[in-house]
Amino acid sequence: MSEKELGQKWDRCLADCAVKLGTGLGLGIVFSVVFFKRRTWPIVFGTGLGLGMAYSNCQNDLRSHYVLHSKVAKEE
Amino acid sequence: MAAKILPLVKFATKVTIAGGAIYVAYDSGLLGDGKEGSVTLGRAKAAIPPAVEEWVKYFGFELPATPKIEFSPLDAWNSGVQKSIHALSVAPSTVSDYTKQGLKYVKDLTK
Repeated sequence: MSEKELGQKWDRCLADCAVKLGTGLGLGIVFSVVFFKRRTWPIVFGTGLGLGMAYSNCQNDLRSHYVLHSKVAKEE
Repeated sequence: MAAKILPLVKFATKVTIAGGAIYVAYDSGLLGDGKEGSVTLGRAKAAIPPAVEEWVKYFGFELPATPKIEFSPLDAWNSGVQKSIHALSVAPSTVSDYTKQGLKYVKDLTK
């Protein structure tokens, strides 16, 4: 993986982290207000979910360069 | 009859609101891949200034102009890293020079 590619992957990771964190927080707030009488734990849970999704995406993105990809040849 | 249906209606409304929020998040690509996430962030960044302008016009007051900051954290960080590594790489020769100078000074004092 070249330095430029690695830098781009890290940029994507950070942007995705911000998006997922915001989404998790937002959905946590919605659930907290609608179902759980404005308690804090759904908000924390949603934020944690968002962080976890961002971490997992980042991990896959950084590993994808080294994972072998295969194609199944079509039978003629 | 109405007393029995009302809690059900309330619950159905809550489920609709929560489900709608999840669907909107999924549909706009917020819960997808890393690439989709960065694309969505770019779109959101591009959409904020016109939205802010519209709101300002609607409410009829002038927001103070955002001060232009000429500081780039990226450039500052990069230059910091370069300077630190350069200092580390010249450290042995610098230390030896200072030691020689110090010894020479002490010798001159003792003459």
